[in-house]
Amino acid sequence: MVGKKVEKLLLKVQKPGRYVGGELNEVIKSKRDVDVRFAFCFPDTYEVGMSHLGMKILYSLFNSVPYIWCERVFAPWVDMEELMIKHNIPLYALESGDPLSEFDFIGFTLQYELSYSNMLNMLKLGGVPFRASERGDGLKNIVVAGGPCACNPEPVADFVDLFFIGEGEEVDLEVIELFRKCRSEGVGKREFLRRCADIEGVYAPSLYEVDYNDDGTIKSFTPKDGAPAVIHKRIMKDMDKSYYPDNFVVPLVEIVHDRAVQEIFRGCIRGCRFCQAGFIYRPVREKSPDTINAQCRALCENTGYDEVSLSSLSSSDYSQIVPLLEKLTEWTGEEKVSISLPSLRVDGFTDEIMNKIKTVRKSGLTFAPEAGSQRMRDVINKNVRHDELMQTCATAFAGGWTTVKLYFMIGLPTETLDDVADIANLGQAVVDTYYATPNRAKGKSVRVTVSASSFVPKPFTPFQWEPQDDIPTLHEKQAHIKNSITSKKITFNYHDADTSFLEAVFARGDRRLCEVMALACERGFHFDGWNDCFSLEKWLELFEECGIDPAFYANRRRSFDELLPWDHIDYGVTKSFLKKECQKAYNNETTPHCRLKCSGCGAAKYGEGVCFEKRQDLV
Amino acid sequence: MKNVRIWFKKDGECRYISHLDLNRTMLRALHKSKLPIWHTEGFNPHPFATFPLPLSLGFRGVNECMDVKLEDDNYSFEEIQKKLNDCLPRGIRVFDVTEAVMKAGKIAFASFTMLVSIENKPSGLVCKQLKELLSLDKIEIEKRSKKGMKTVDIKPCIKKYSVTELFDCAKLDIILSAGSNDNVNPNLIIAALEKRTGEEYEVDITRNDLYNADMEVFR
Repeated sequence: MVGKKVEKLLLKVQKPGRYVGGELNEVIKSKRDVDVRFAFCFPDTYEVGMSHLGMKILYSLFNSVPYIWCERVFAPWVDMEELMIKHNIPLYALESGDPLSEFDFIGFTLQYELSYSNMLNMLKLGGVPFRASERGDGLKNIVVAGGPCACNPEPVADFVDLFFIGEGEEVDLEVIELFRKCRSEGVGKREFLRRCADIEGVYAPSLYEVDYNDDGTIKSFTPKDGAPAVIHKRIMKDMDKSYYPDNFVVPLVEIVHDRAVQEIFRGCIRGCRFCQAGFIYRPVREKSPDTINAQCRALCENTGYDEVSLSSLSSSDYSQIVPLLEKLTEWTGEEKVSISLPSLRVDGFTDEIMNKIKTVRKSGLTFAPEAGSQRMRDVINKNVRHDELMQTCATAFAGGWTTVKLYFMIGLPTETLDDVADIANLGQAVVDTYYATPNRAKGKSVRVTVSASSFVPKPFTPFQWEPQDDIPTLHEKQAHIKNSITSKKITFNYHDADTSFLEAVFARGDRRLCEVMALACERGFHFDGWNDCFSLEKWLELFEECGIDPAFYANRRRSFDELLPWDHIDYGVTKSFLKKECQKAYNNETTPHCRLKCSGCGAAKYGEGVCFEKRQDLV
Repeated sequence: MKNVRIWFKKDGECRYISHLDLNRTMLRALHKSKLPIWHTEGFNPHPFATFPLPLSLGFRGVNECMDVKLEDDNYSFEEIQKKLNDCLPRGIRVFDVTEAVMKAGKIAFASFTMLVSIENKPSGLVCKQLKELLSLDKIEIEKRSKKGMKTVDIKPCIKKYSVTELFDCAKLDIILSAGSNDNVNPNLIIAALEKRTGEEYEVDITRNDLYNADMEVFR
C-alpha cells in the first residue's frame, strides 16, 4: 500500500508496478496485532528479488507466526531512487508502505557480492544508519543477513548486527523469539546480540576482534564476552518435515522467473571444485516424491501458474527423478501445467526425462561442461566426459531440439591457452554432432551458444587459496576463444572480467574492506551487478583512497597455513578435506561423487542425508 | 462453446501495470479459477482471451472488458464473476459478466475523466488554459509513427468535452476517437497543453465508457 506522495512519482518511472505491492497472496496484517515487524530486503530489483526461492520460503514461514508480520523491500531502480531522494520519500516496505526505519528487524539475503553496495544503499534510503555502531543500543532496526555470501561475512561485518550461518528456517525464528523476550525484559541491543551468539548458527561480528600480521594476513581472531570461537552452520535435517509454502505472492509485473518453484533437494553430491554451493549446502538431503508432488500441486492451485520448475543444484541427480516425473505427469497434463527441469547435468539428460518434460513445452537446452578439455574438467572434478556430452546432444537433436547453450569458465587453476582453445573445439564438436544425427529436425540449422564467465575463487571450496587470473590474462583468454571459433553456427558470449574481479575481492575479503564499502555507500554506489551502473575505475579510486590493494584479495596465492578471514565459520566441510581436494586438482585427479564413494568431507557429522543412504553397490 | 464478455474495474495498485501484465494476470486468474476456458491449439496451448480496447498504464478503468470462450455452458454469469474475483489481485474486480453483444471492431469512441492540476497553482488557471486549448481550431501534436515523427491535428478526434473547476484541480470530461482507426490517447491533450503553456501538469485519468460510431454504449 503506497501513499499519495509515492503515487505522484509512479507515472514518471519505468515499470511502476514494481513499487506498489497489492499482488495476489500478499500478506497484510494489522500493525496492532503483531509484536515483531520484519522487513525482508532483497538488495536488487523487484524482478530479481521476487524470483528468489529463499525469500518466498521465509516470507511465508515468518507470516505463518501470528505475532510476526514480514514485509518485502526491494532496491528501487535508479530512476525511482532519484525521485524518492528528491521528494524526501524514505525506502518503504510494499505491504504497509512504512519506511524501513520503523521495522524491528531489517533482514537482507546476500546472494552475490556485487549486491553489497545495494544493501548499504537501501539502509541509507530507508533512513537507517548503515554503520552498526551508529544505530544505538535500542532494540529496533536490528540488521540481519543470511544467504551464501554470509559464509564470509567479514567485508560487511561493520554494517550487520547478526549473520545467520546456514539454513534459516529454524534459527531466524529462534532469534526473533529471543528478541521478543529481551524487549519485554527491557534489555539493550548489545546484550541482545550477546545472547544471540549462544544460538547455534548465529554470528554477531561485533563480538570479535581481528588482528593482522605485518604482511597483511590475519594474525588472530578473538571472541569477546563469551562468544563462541567457532560458529557452526544450521541445516534442516528432514526435508519432508521442513516448512514449505503452499502459496507464493504472484507478481503483477513480469519477473525473471515467473513460475512456481518446487525445491526437490538441498546440497549436491558432485563436489565440483570451483562451486561454493556444492560444499556449503552439504550434505544432500532429498524430499520424497510424495512430498514434492503434493507441494507442487498446492502451489499451482494457489498461484494459477501454469509452469512449475523443479529446483535444486543438479536436478537430474535426484535419486527418484523418473518416479517423480511419472507422479507429476499424472495431473500436469490435465491441468495444463508444464514442468521445467533447470540445472540438468550433461550426463543426466536421458530419453526418459526428455520425453517427460517435452510433453507440454519445449524450451532451449542448457548444459554446463564448465571446461573445454578433459584435463581441465578433471582438475575441476566436473566428471563429464566428451563422449557423454556428444551422446546427450545427439539425444536432444534426435528429439527435435536445435539450440544448445554451453556454459564454460575461464581462468581456472592450471589452465593453459590450449585448454581454452578446447572450449571452441567443444562447441564445434556439438555442431558436428548435429549434422551427424540422422533423425534431427528436418530443414533446420543448429545454434550453439558458447558462454564463458571468469572463474572467481570462493571460500569453502578447494580453490579458496587460488589466485584469480588478472584482468589482462582473462581478456587474452576471451580473445583466444573468439579467434578459435570458425563456425557461424556458434555464438560466443563472455562475461565482463571487471565485475568478476570485484566479486573476487569481496568474496575472500576481510574486515578492512568495510571501510571501502562505507565510502562506496557515501558516494552513492549501487547496482554493481548491472552494467548500467558498474564502474571498476570508480571502485579502484576508492581502494586507492583507503590505501587498500584489491589484488591482495583477488590475485594473491594464499598459503595453506594462512588464517583465512572465514576460518572461524564451520560449514561441516573440513579445511583438511579442502586441502586434499586442491592437491588432487593439481594432479588432474578426480573424486567420485557422494553416492559412489564417501570422500570424508566432514558433512557426515550432521547425521542425515546422503551420508547415510544405502549405496547401490553395497546393497 | 460460449463467448463471454467479462467486465471489470482496473484501479488501485493494478492501475500501474501495463496491458501485457494485465493480460498475464488475467490468464493466470483464469487458469487458477479452473473455469473451462478454451485454449489455443498451437504448440504452447494457453487460455485464450482478448481485450476489445487495451487501457494505458496509469489509467483507471471503471468499465473495462475482456472476451473469453467457455468450453461448456454449465456456468452461470454470477458463478464466473465470483470464481474470477477469488483469483484476482484486489486492484482488478469483475463486476459483471455478459454475452458479447457488439464486436470489438465496432468501438469508435471512449469517454475519459481527467483531473488536471499544477502544483501550488489555482485550479481556475488550469481550467482557463484547458478551455483555451480546446477551443482552438487546430490542436497539433507530434506523434511517433512507423515513418518517424509526424504532426497530427487531434481536434477532429474530440467528439465532446466539458471543463469543470473543482477545489484542487480542473476536471475535464472528454470523449475521444478510439478503436483500431483513430485512437487518441488523452495524454496527448496534456502534451499539447504542456507544449502551449510550458507548465508541468499532474493528471489523473479514468476511462469511463466505450461507444460505437452511433454513440451507443459498447456492450
